[in-house]
Amino acid sequence: MKKFLEVYDLAKKYPVKGEKNKYITIFENVTFSMQKGEFVCIIGHSGCGKSTILNNLAGLDAPTSGNIIMDNKNVKKPSLERGVIFQNHSLLPWLSVLKNIKMAIACKFKDLDKEGIEKRALHFLEMVELTDAVNKLPHELSGGMKQRVGIARAFALSPELLLMDEPFGALDALTRGKIQDKLVEICDKTKQTIFMITHDIDEAILLADRILLMSNGPEARVVESVEINIPKPRNRAEIVKHQNYYRIRNYLVDFLVNKSSKIAKDIQNKNIDDSRMPYTISFPNDENTEKLAI
Amino acid sequence: MSKERIQTITLSLVILFVSFVVGEIVTNTGNASTKELTEYEKLMGLGEPQAHVPGPSEVLKLAVKELSNPFYDNGSNDKGIGTQLFYSILRVMAGYFLAVLIAIPLGFLTGMSPIFYNALQPYIQVLKPISPLAWMPLALFVIKDSILSSVFVIFICSIWPILINTAFGVMSVKKDWLNVSRTLEMGTLETAFKVILPAALPTIFTGLRISMGISWLVIVAAEMLVGGTGIGYYVWNEWNNLDLTSVVFSIFMIGIVGMGLDLLIAQASKYFMYQE
Repeated sequence: MKKFLEVYDLAKKYPVKGEKNKYITIFENVTFSMQKGEFVCIIGHSGCGKSTILNNLAGLDAPTSGNIIMDNKNVKKPSLERGVIFQNHSLLPWLSVLKNIKMAIACKFKDLDKEGIEKRALHFLEMVELTDAVNKLPHELSGGMKQRVGIARAFALSPELLLMDEPFGALDALTRGKIQDKLVEICDKTKQTIFMITHDIDEAILLADRILLMSNGPEARVVESVEINIPKPRNRAEIVKHQNYYRIRNYLVDFLVNKSSKIAKDIQNKNIDDSRMPYTISFPNDENTEKLAI
Repeated sequence: MSKERIQTITLSLVILFVSFVVGEIVTNTGNASTKELTEYEKLMGLGEPQAHVPGPSEVLKLAVKELSNPFYDNGSNDKGIGTQLFYSILRVMAGYFLAVLIAIPLGFLTGMSPIFYNALQPYIQVLKPISPLAWMPLALFVIKDSILSSVFVIFICSIWPILINTAFGVMSVKKDWLNVSRTLEMGTLETAFKVILPAALPTIFTGLRISMGISWLVIVAAEMLVGGTGIGYYVWNEWNNLDLTSVVFSIFMIGIVGMGLDLLIAQASKYFMYQE
């Protein structure tokens, strides 16, 4: 089957200051693909280049080498087909919540009239439960509300691919939980294709169909692709009861604590073959144990 | 009214009162001498009222008289304070708006293009520190009109702060906001007007405010040089008449009008401020 998004041999290198022809490699040989409607999370330690990969996918920043192909087209520059939710919400502070979203909608749906734009904006603000705050300025909102406006703005454009750069990183745990639930609900409804960076393992298991694991930088790789074999839609309270939940969680923790640095060392010492990365890891449901668990 | 506000107002009034009293004590009235004068002393004008630094009450009396009829016109050397201020404000506005018209688009371009910025930098750095009055002889020779020359001087002094602040405001627009416009596939012009301009406006207004302040400082000196009309000419004319009460009065008027102009721009800028 033809893949919706394909990333081949992506690499990012920066020249070393003061030394000619010497480069520091942030990541290299990054190859993965995504299906339409899939929710993929990427996890890795700081400095492995997750944000750079996301910016490459968005077209905001060009990779040093490699190709990104979406819908049979090369990704070279930013496009309305790829929405981005930035970590710090990035709302324009001089526009009200409604105007921020209306401006974005007007950019994408050029033949929509004023009423149509307003209707669409209000629909998506309703979706994130912000109808009371439409005329407020961003600085009058709490962090969680701002991020919800960011989510509404991104979904209002119904992009082919939605990129999220640690969207909940700056929020407190309780707010984060609420917005995650909201996101589960919206994704279930819209079947939006999403690529998301996160540091939170539980968040990744709750949301993702697949989790990409990166080794430590520099010279990071996307090492493994872990399939989250837990039926959707998921629920924070129920998901922990699933037999695969702790198996996956323990596996991810072990990777991040032990394996990611070991692999990084092996790559730097060239002791490892990275040509077949990422390896697919899956945890099949064992029917007997599942029955027992229920 | 809060307690703090009452205290502030009280202190302000006390300062006013004290300076009034001190002013009255340290100045003299300059009344004609009442003692017996010799013929020679009479010839030297000692029987007439003497030139002196006026006390606050004297200035206040003149202020009431002048401000009750500010626009009278008794010929070229005796015009009301309102007329004189009006001419000065007119010249400042003409030079200032000309500067705004040129400096904001140019600053915008400079801020958006590093090539433009680096190419213009040396010229701006050399031209900026030149005292605007140093341009006066050249302006008079080229323009051959004293009024237009003073307008030019205002123009040349107000252009730099606006230019530099506009460029700075445009350059320091947050990268995140520019990324938003890029992901929305906005064109250059759309980005300039919908993202960069509103983002840079508070900084641009800082430049506008600085320039207005400088313009008002410079117009007084410029009018002292070119003469004819205006508050600067008025001050110098009254000095030549040895009418120090009028000099002190116009000094205060310069201050009050300057404050008014500053307030005007400060108020206007409030509409374009935003909080992150």
